[in-house]
Amino acid sequence: MAANANWQDGNTKGEPGSSLHGVTGREPVFQMTMETVGEKEATDLKGRKFALPVDSEHKAKTVRLYSVAAPHMRTFHLSWIAFMICFFSTFAAPPLMPVIRDNLGLTKVDIGNAGIASVAGAVVSRLLMGTICDLVGPRYGCAILMMITAPAIFCMPLVSTPVGFILVRFFIGFCLATFVSCQFWMSSMFNSKIVGIANGTAAGWGNMGGGIVQLVMPLVFDIIRRDIGSEKFTAWRIAFFVPGVLQVMMGLLVLTLGQDLPDGNYAELKREGEKVNDSFQKVFLYAVTNYRTYIFALTYGYCFGVELTVDNIIAEYFYDRFDLNLQTAGIIASTFGLMNLFSRPLGGVLSDVVAARWGMRGRLWNLWIIQTVGGVLCIVLGLTGQLGPAIAVMLIFSFFVQAACGATFGVIPFISRRSLGIISGATGAGGNIGAVTTQGIFFMSSKYTTEDGIMLMGIMIVACTLPVIFVHFPQWGSMFCPPSKATEEDYYISEWSKEEQSNGLHHASMKFAENSKSERGRQSPPRSKEETVGVDRL
Amino acid sequence: MVSRAQIGLALALGLLALVSTAEGGVLFSNLTRTLAVEATIQSTNSTTGVAHVGSDHLVVSWALNSSLADSGLDAKYVNVNIKLCYAPVSQTDRGWRKTNNDLHKDKTCGKGIGSQKYVPGGNTTNWRITKDVPGAIYFVRVYAVDADGVQLGFGQTTNAAKSSNLIEILPISGRHASIDVASAIFSVFSVGSLISFLGVEAIRSKKAANARAGK
Repeated sequence: MAANANWQDGNTKGEPGSSLHGVTGREPVFQMTMETVGEKEATDLKGRKFALPVDSEHKAKTVRLYSVAAPHMRTFHLSWIAFMICFFSTFAAPPLMPVIRDNLGLTKVDIGNAGIASVAGAVVSRLLMGTICDLVGPRYGCAILMMITAPAIFCMPLVSTPVGFILVRFFIGFCLATFVSCQFWMSSMFNSKIVGIANGTAAGWGNMGGGIVQLVMPLVFDIIRRDIGSEKFTAWRIAFFVPGVLQVMMGLLVLTLGQDLPDGNYAELKREGEKVNDSFQKVFLYAVTNYRTYIFALTYGYCFGVELTVDNIIAEYFYDRFDLNLQTAGIIASTFGLMNLFSRPLGGVLSDVVAARWGMRGRLWNLWIIQTVGGVLCIVLGLTGQLGPAIAVMLIFSFFVQAACGATFGVIPFISRRSLGIISGATGAGGNIGAVTTQGIFFMSSKYTTEDGIMLMGIMIVACTLPVIFVHFPQWGSMFCPPSKATEEDYYISEWSKEEQSNGLHHASMKFAENSKSERGRQSPPRSKEETVGVDRL
Repeated sequence: MVSRAQIGLALALGLLALVSTAEGGVLFSNLTRTLAVEATIQSTNSTTGVAHVGSDHLVVSWALNSSLADSGLDAKYVNVNIKLCYAPVSQTDRGWRKTNNDLHKDKTCGKGIGSQKYVPGGNTTNWRITKDVPGAIYFVRVYAVDADGVQLGFGQTTNAAKSSNLIEILPISGRHASIDVASAIFSVFSVGSLISFLGVEAIRSKKAANARAGK
């Protein structure tokens, strides 16, 4: 494989090509890649042919959304549906809040605490899930998490005090870590050229669960109340069996139909030393000493964190401010989450399109503009007092906020090659921390009305997106500064000590560096001196 | 760029929203307190001032204030709307029950007890407290309305500060033994099926490993 192979060359193996890649970056650092031999005849360990074209690692090279062929597409669908159901369960209470708050005598502080609790648990569970997937595989990780948190969902019908409500929402919230298992699983099943689209689509469709639930729960509540004749205060409790049963069913499906790797399950396969584990301490060190990690954790807190916050408050907001009934408020609130069907994938695609012309600087500008516009629209939403315009503003706001999430993960894969997994996990956790903070400051006390809280949240989005200006890549520049003479190789090799380099552990990073030259954009001046140096290093 | 046009559109919509005027409603401070209202709890238990939903009744009697009998203030009264209203202690920290002088936006009186035709001599209604009434401290207010439903006067069981003669209503919990049992069964099923699944797979892989070792 020529070191100077064009990054657009479809034959380069195992290199991240487009933006949304390696969202968990749990791809093994040292895995030896082999030339594809007669890819059409690739078979799994049991000798069966794959339904999709695969590469040398048996990862699929295309995504066929309409197929459920084992193992790749079946995994895709199991994975995103599982994640979606976890989102569904975590946000099952907010659309029914007008009924729950009367039943349990909740105050605004209680509701705020419960909202914070629902997203706080996932901060820790997301950080741990990456390691769990590494140890036992994404299939077990996802299924175990879902079936262990299902009893928490079944505890919701038993709740009778504000404290109980807060605790139950806290424990249900742990299942949001299925985001990590979903992305990890995609990265194991799909070739790195398309893992970006696969991951972005799965994440977007999973996030839709926060929208679908706002539609479904009021409907289920209504059916139980009307057709079964239950009292309001009983009907909402019965309604909670829906997310619980769905989650158990999905957990069982994942266990029975799922498969960790294209060739089989972790337990069945022998790991024959193809995969050498990197040193956790080193990987952790390079993640925490890279300032970009913190900046993106903060900014993701103000796009994904805002999305989580809005999922928690929007139905109650429309119910109270515009005097709608539960079902109508739910339908309107659901459109916010449902926009994820295309807005998050589009955010990443936009990032790629901009990068083709302007490189990494384009990606950073793209992210900053989208997220800032989202912030401005949030301010407008808080100020809008009429129902029709409020819905319109909310829809446009949701597009920008979710596109910003997609655009963030267009930049993350380039921050570090070695510590990509931890940085992605930290970014995800930062999203949840942003949700915790925002709900705590603006939606807890009666100091701010909900509409003022939304407006102030918009101001905070704009303020907390400004740090993107300070993200500087020596080889590509930043929003306002041009690149220095450093090269991609210089940047990525700085993560390896001289000793590790002499052992040849940095080769995969060098391959990545070569391919990441695409982030220079078109018409960048040739830096031939550095090119030669880079080749020598290889 | 597309996003700039969208910013412009969004700002325009926002400005329109700010500029458009809201409908004016009747102000509570403009209403005259012309009715005398009394509410008593008909209860099977002996605690005074406390009512249980579902089993207890609220007997509300209202009439035109005797001192205003010939004042002509009630000339336009057509109906009365009897409502159950939150006392201030149940409104604190709960913005969805907030009192607003504009009766269109006022959320103090969430629950309607009933509606009757207006007669100067007054009337009584017996209301069984429904099971969807939240647990809180209440008073009863009666609005006298004209033919279009616009409020003209009112009366309430408590004083202007809403601090005297309040009614405490105890709610249902909403829980049922059958729900508790179903909850327990589903939870045990979830964890149990997971453990048995993992166990079966562990046994199977041990067997396979033994078979491979035995070969």
